[in-house]
Amino acid sequence: MRWIACELHTHTAHSDGRQSLPELAAGAAALGFECIALTDHNTMSGLAQREEVERETGIRILPGMEWTTFYGHMVTIGARAFVDWREAHPQRITEGAAEVHRHGGVAGLAHPYRIGSPACTGCYWEYEIADWSDLDYIEVWSGTWAPIKTDNLRAYALWTERLNAGTRIAATSGRDWHAQEETDEPLSVTYLGLEDERTPFEDEAVRALRRGRVSVTIGPLLTLEASQGGRTYGIGDVLVRSAEETGEPIEVGVSLQFSAREGRWSLPPQTFSLRLVGDGGILAERAVDAVDGGYRLETPAGGTTWLRAELWGVVRGARALIAFTNAIYYETGEKGARTP
Amino acid sequence: MRMEIMGEAGPDDARTHRRYPFELREPSDGLHIRFAYSPKTLEDREESRLLMERSIALYVAPDQQARALENVDRYYPLKNLITISVDDGRGYRGACHRHDAEQRLFLSEEEASPGLTRGPVEPGRWCVTLSLHAIVTASCSYRLEVWTAEEGENR
Repeated sequence: MRWIACELHTHTAHSDGRQSLPELAAGAAALGFECIALTDHNTMSGLAQREEVERETGIRILPGMEWTTFYGHMVTIGARAFVDWREAHPQRITEGAAEVHRHGGVAGLAHPYRIGSPACTGCYWEYEIADWSDLDYIEVWSGTWAPIKTDNLRAYALWTERLNAGTRIAATSGRDWHAQEETDEPLSVTYLGLEDERTPFEDEAVRALRRGRVSVTIGPLLTLEASQGGRTYGIGDVLVRSAEETGEPIEVGVSLQFSAREGRWSLPPQTFSLRLVGDGGILAERAVDAVDGGYRLETPAGGTTWLRAELWGVVRGARALIAFTNAIYYETGEKGARTP
Repeated sequence: MRMEIMGEAGPDDARTHRRYPFELREPSDGLHIRFAYSPKTLEDREESRLLMERSIALYVAPDQQARALENVDRYYPLKNLITISVDDGRGYRGACHRHDAEQRLFLSEEEASPGLTRGPVEPGRWCVTLSLHAIVTASCSYRLEVWTAEEGENR
């Protein structure tokens, strides 16, 4: 698995951004990103420059569009054709998401709790979602210095609530990047896990989002795996256990890479707190130092239907979530029958 | 081809689209669009405060509402927002989602304004859609002009 640093929510002058695609891509490269998604409001015209800018900057550019509708902003990535955002109906947004899926893309809720009309029409998510499996992800960290923003705390709580309800849905970050402006605020990175590097990059990155092979951070790269019965499962996988096995503890491995994007971020020296979290809350916790390393933790038997890792610490004087992985899902059923 | 539309919208028209179709009978070297609306901002602070109180009650978490009201100035002045999208006989030709109260746009086979897609300007049923995202003033008037390169600006 190779983890690539991505910025999944960006704008250029093709909508209301104050930057060109070459400026955006050069800015992303300077910050140690390998990939951006271009998600201009309601247009994909900026992608005409895509190949040229990829060649010049070495940055991979995923095609996207932010559906900037009256009742919610929905980020779509990877769709091979335009899907008409103007048809979005307050009770039927998932029809739009389904159409995006038919064209090979994924769809997620952008900044679902940002204040809405009239300050920012559609910024607050007001669409009814009858079936959450129609959507692929929630952008839980929006903007810079994201972990402490109250809107983002609500979005993160929404994600946890959905996981508890049994929805398999990814969580991402997005700067909603409109201009090349200097900031000393912590920047979020969404790492996508590429499993098979022989398949085209775009397909593999979109698959990572769809499957939840995602880890989000303002610092080190945090990854997670769980083992049972000689098999190892990664972020986004479904670990299927027989009824007898649910009584056994699951061995979990967590890896921290402080050398990821080294020099592009900093955190005050400290001992961090590493947590395993599931639907019963905190399942395990231990202290870790700021060095690259792997940790084995044991979670209690039975119980949880999902598991994620979180790294906590003090940033800018505040206790904050520094990094989180997406979930590994647990399912009780026929052993070896892995859900796609 | 030349089309000129004068329109008016009020707060109740927010969150609606207005479609202005037109027929292009012959291929053209390019299509010009000029769109302007006014006013852009709501200057009445009392009215702004009322709108924001309603918005904060609706969208901000209960324990954060008092703080949001204290900092409500950061949302002022409240703005009208109308954006443009264009369709030709075959489909979508892009959108120009930005806050400018006046936009002059062009599209042709060789070039297009940011947000629009370049390509041939072919005969068929075209449509300019105005998306009224926010109308915060009691009324907002707009003027939409569309003309082909062959017509010339004529003013």
